[in-house]
Amino acid sequence: MNYILKMSFRNLMRNKRRSVFSALAIAIGTALLLFMSATIRGEMRGSLDLTINLRTGHLQIHAEDYKDANMSLKRADMIEAPLDISNQIEEIPQVKAASPRLNISGILAFKNETIGVQIIGIDPPSAANAIYKDGMVSGEFLTSDDREGVLIGLPLAESLDLGPGDSIDLILNTSEGDTDEQRFTIRGVYTTNTPGYDKATIFMPLEKAQTISRTENHASMIYILLYEMDDTAAVKAAIHAPGYIIEDWEELNKLIILVEQLSNAMMFFFNLMVLGVTSTVIMNTLLMAVYERTREMGILGALGMKGKQIRSLFLTEATLLALGGVIVGLAIGVPLVLYYAQVGFFFGDLGISANSSFMLGNSIYPHPTVGDVISVSLAAFLITILSGYYPATQASKLEPVEALHSNN
Amino acid sequence: MKLTLRLAWRNLWRNRRRTLIVVMAMAMMMSFLIMYDSMILGFETAVYGNAIKLSGGNIQIRANGYADSYSPNPMLPMGNGLDVVQAAEAQPGVAVALRHANTGGLVTNHEGVFPVGIYGIEPEKEKPVNPVMQDEFLIAGRFLQIDDEDAIFIGKGLADAMGIGVGDRIPLSGKNTNEEMSKRTMTVIGVYDINLASLERQVVYISLKAAQDLYGLGDNITEVILFTEITGKENPIVEELNASLSGYEISTWKSAIPELSSTVEMKNAVMTGFSAVLLGIAAIGIFNILLMAIYERTKEIGLLGAIGLKPREITLLFLVEGIMIGFVGAVVGTVLGYLITSVLGIFGLNYGFAVDMIDYLALMGTHIYPAFDINLTLQRAGMVALISSIAALYPALEASRREPATALHHV
Repeated sequence: MNYILKMSFRNLMRNKRRSVFSALAIAIGTALLLFMSATIRGEMRGSLDLTINLRTGHLQIHAEDYKDANMSLKRADMIEAPLDISNQIEEIPQVKAASPRLNISGILAFKNETIGVQIIGIDPPSAANAIYKDGMVSGEFLTSDDREGVLIGLPLAESLDLGPGDSIDLILNTSEGDTDEQRFTIRGVYTTNTPGYDKATIFMPLEKAQTISRTENHASMIYILLYEMDDTAAVKAAIHAPGYIIEDWEELNKLIILVEQLSNAMMFFFNLMVLGVTSTVIMNTLLMAVYERTREMGILGALGMKGKQIRSLFLTEATLLALGGVIVGLAIGVPLVLYYAQVGFFFGDLGISANSSFMLGNSIYPHPTVGDVISVSLAAFLITILSGYYPATQASKLEPVEALHSNN
Repeated sequence: MKLTLRLAWRNLWRNRRRTLIVVMAMAMMMSFLIMYDSMILGFETAVYGNAIKLSGGNIQIRANGYADSYSPNPMLPMGNGLDVVQAAEAQPGVAVALRHANTGGLVTNHEGVFPVGIYGIEPEKEKPVNPVMQDEFLIAGRFLQIDDEDAIFIGKGLADAMGIGVGDRIPLSGKNTNEEMSKRTMTVIGVYDINLASLERQVVYISLKAAQDLYGLGDNITEVILFTEITGKENPIVEELNASLSGYEISTWKSAIPELSSTVEMKNAVMTGFSAVLLGIAAIGIFNILLMAIYERTKEIGLLGAIGLKPREITLLFLVEGIMIGFVGAVVGTVLGYLITSVLGIFGLNYGFAVDMIDYLALMGTHIYPAFDINLTLQRAGMVALISSIAALYPALEASRREPATALHHV
């Protein structure tokens, strides 16, 4: 066995350029596969994270009949005394923040413009608002006792040329089925880097939102953020909220998770194509090498080497190529993916609407996993060896006498 | 020159096995590239095709002034639309053109007021293509028929919200051509369930004729909706339609559903970027194999030199061979890629195994149907031919400069 290894290594070294090219094809293939899977995973994860932070939270508590799409303000669809419940939940150690939110649909009127918006009543001091607090561009964040202040998003502020201190009129639905109009002052401008969301979402303090929509001491939902996504099930079991239902991010983001599964399934076919190209390179290169060295095979055969041994000689060559290619591929791919996982690809404003259940930020951050690295390497490795099988079999079938007479 | 051509062609087929390996490599790689590209196109249709059909079709043709209107459902008559349907269905790539009379309105009962989009449709034409009108989603009653007058077809989401079922009568109000509300009591004729309650709540269907009567449209309709065979390739169709139809506004789902469009575009940008890398791998492979094929013939080059061919002529001969083999490879690859893609396009690739999505059957299919793009394929073929010429030039130059005597002794 040892001499076969030695011979195949020498064979590869004898034609360095060819070996380097072949290994390079495997290497780029491996790096590409790694990059592709990390990017798709990162894209989906990014949109899931964003949706969780902006809209759904890791867990939500709401009344049985409440549906987010309706923004219903009926008492029966709402949670009573929400702060009592949220304070109780915040005592669970894995919970980062729990905070009541009141969603109201409304219209922003400014000069001649009327724009449909969603108004969210938030509890200003809660840690659940960190994403908005960190994204303040100008002005101040809300305070609990503010009776006429609101926060608007950066794209809305830019398109209407508004800033802190300016006034806008808001027309809001109320629990009594009619609407109420009131003038508000912009306290600050925020951005979450999700243009579609920022364009159509306005924040005001919970108490004021309850007053204007006549839903005193009620909220649409309790929004819960955890430190770790993996704790979701444990926290869900620990929450005690009789009469209300608790939904986790998987239930709240069914569509995103579905699209994720779909993308993964489809990536399987895209990966096959990449592996197909790589395997074609290896198979044809080795096949060419077999015919190029026909006479050599003849000599080996005449010296008493068996067909099986000749086959394992070629298979060993393929294995060595695969090994080198995969290692180089990982050496290129892993640092590249890690770099982009930090920096992200920038895409700019993609104009995504606030109410879409599918939200994307303006960058994709590839998300490599150890599992991906292992499966990609394994796939590239196995495909290469498999591609070597046919050429190796051809080589082993050569008749020594005929091979010796070959021109090559 | 003619001699060189003949020599090159003969050389190509002298060692059939070698040429076949090279051609096979090129053809296989091209097939994989073509399949990859065609899957990008098929991807959109598979994942988003039905979502697009549900939310307004691939292309919308409406009366002028629609885009500038503030109302989300302006009542702008556009004639009877038959000429538009004819023009649209004559375009290649258009699967079907549907006439609608749409307006915004309300349905009311004791449960409350529900704002809905009211779609007046031609039942016999809409039935085969509209995702919600498939037999498996009908949970009660029947579909609309052409002469239904006061029948309404609704989704389970709305039926549940209103607490109604087949046979119940509900008042339907819709904006008419005078911007006033017309009211009529309709009987629920059928209920569908596609498990997307929020979507089901937003739309009700009535027959085109009933809609035209109710809103005082006469023979007029308000929009023609086109479903295309491939999602993502609407632009050429829109250009053609703009040239042949005047007085209409033509838009695509990309402007109607920007969030979907941006998702698709982002994914495509990424996947196209990756396909460039894939092409790079194929290029290395082809280069490598052609280099081998020519270095193998060093001795032959020496012989040609020995019988008096000048280095320039030898280089030319090998270059012509490289171009020829590249050409043959590109042609075979294109044909092979086309055949494979066509077969896959008929049967589809089933990715349903990985996804548990019985719930969203109406929204997403379980098969991806790759779509062949001739322009892209020709680009790929051109690249393959170019790479093979370059790959032939380099060793030919090097080999032709060798001393014939040394080249002859090469083993």
